[in-house]
Amino acid sequence: MNIIEIRNLTKYYGKARGIVDVSFDVGAGEVFGFIGPNGAGKSTTIRTLLSLIRPTSGSAAIFGKDCITHAPEIAKDIGYLPSEVFYYDKMKVIDLLRYSASFYKKDCSKRIKELAERMDLDLKRRIDDLSFGNKKKVGIVQCLLHEPRLIILDEPTSGLDPLMQQTFFDLLREENRKGSTILLSSHVLIEVQRICSRVAIIKDGRIIRTEKMSELTENNYKKIRIETGRITDDSRFDLPGVSHLERKDALLSFFFKGNINLIMKRISEVEISNVWIEEPTLEEVFLHYYQKGEERA
Amino acid sequence: MNIFLHELKSYRKSFIIWAISMAATAALFLLLYQAISSDIAAFTKVLESVPEALRNALGFLVGSLSTLPGFYSIIFTYLLLCGAIQAMNLGISIVSREVSAKTADFLLTKPVSRAIILNAKLMATLVSLVATNLIFLAVTVPVALSQDPGTNMQLFLMISATLFFVQLMFASLGILVAVVTRKIKSVVAVSLPTVFGFFIVGMLGSVIGDKAVRYLTPFKYFDPAYILANSAYEVSFVVTGAFLIVAAIAMSYLIYVRKDIHTV
Repeated sequence: MNIIEIRNLTKYYGKARGIVDVSFDVGAGEVFGFIGPNGAGKSTTIRTLLSLIRPTSGSAAIFGKDCITHAPEIAKDIGYLPSEVFYYDKMKVIDLLRYSASFYKKDCSKRIKELAERMDLDLKRRIDDLSFGNKKKVGIVQCLLHEPRLIILDEPTSGLDPLMQQTFFDLLREENRKGSTILLSSHVLIEVQRICSRVAIIKDGRIIRTEKMSELTENNYKKIRIETGRITDDSRFDLPGVSHLERKDALLSFFFKGNINLIMKRISEVEISNVWIEEPTLEEVFLHYYQKGEERA
Repeated sequence: MNIFLHELKSYRKSFIIWAISMAATAALFLLLYQAISSDIAAFTKVLESVPEALRNALGFLVGSLSTLPGFYSIIFTYLLLCGAIQAMNLGISIVSREVSAKTADFLLTKPVSRAIILNAKLMATLVSLVATNLIFLAVTVPVALSQDPGTNMQLFLMISATLFFVQLMFASLGILVAVVTRKIKSVVAVSLPTVFGFFIVGMLGSVIGDKAVRYLTPFKYFDPAYILANSAYEVSFVVTGAFLIVAAIAMSYLIYVRKDIHTV
């Protein structure tokens, strides 16, 4: 059964593009990554799912029910963590969490305590005394306190220190094991790689591709740059698996996919003064997908 | 119910302060009544020397100064102004603060429909205004009776009740404005010019003396001279006022349930 079904979802803000023709499904129990650069339409898609905005055309369903017409009913089983969290400044953390819990018809007090302990959150402080990171923790507790069947996270890790990110991801994995489905949006590839089983890639409002995480990481591209003392014959690097070969003065850069030993040998044949081997950035991964798309067309 | 209580709690302090300030102003003015009533002839003479146009604009009813309700109606023009500011602030703020405080993402993703959220906010507004008026009366009625035990209470209460009507009109206007606009950065920057604008239109209208102008501003829907003379409100204005309130609220619902909530 699919938990989320999005069909040709389109949203224009006046004439400005939000998203165009977005379609994808998220199955029960999946941890689904939604990845794209800032402004690509991740938040627009998520906000439509939550019925915060209305689509221009197309539809989205959660738990088999339409997102707009059945919004309140669906919301019972959703936990949502926005990228920036804001709460009523003058409230105490515990009062805010109780207020949040009062919307769900179950007793969440034990769960609030548990989560707050895990996240190391002081429940007695006032919201406006909290740092950005601590507010985020309130958001996380608020998102999970009613044990939702679907957890929607929009750029969740900003503001959390690496240790807390770890705790948070552990929490998410536990929830997932208990049966919750997770939709996580991010512009950081590594974040998605850590936890997701499948991803949709969005750029300029359109889904470029939906695929399994394993397939995405199989395309294990390396970004390689070498600085050579003097300009050499670059054609020796023109191997199968090498792309985007470019030289800028003493700096030679290219992407490589394939047996890493092969390329290392080739590099060792040249007199080099420096070398960088890096994971490609998200933009560079997109570049790759764009080209693939063009080749097919 | 939880939203209603939450809203009411967050506006409690504000409406208590407004109610007490307005009641104190009214009480101070009423306390002058005994002192002035002994010299009412001289006082009336002073007022008569004020040009008629200015008298009308300021709302001085020379003829009825001799009774406490008549005397009260002078200061009441300005209490209406305060009450209107309070009501419009409340109406704008209760709806727009989810956007300006950026808490819309929290509240609007809860399992409640937007209509229920707006219901709760409207009820909280109504209860705040009722409470304001009750506090106000609890102070002014005993003061009025202490000044003149023979005060015509019906007239006194009829004049006092216009505060509530005018507040309802401005609160609904505030709610509509908040629903229509995408984001309101400062509540008073919207409410003060609006309320003063209506007030000035009312003053100008009194100078011209044109009845049609009175329909343009809620401040002139309840003419104290008419109330004092007839012990009644003017039906056409009450009906128009009620219609405007209902229309503003109905429109607010229609827009609010479909409104896009943007990221900040």
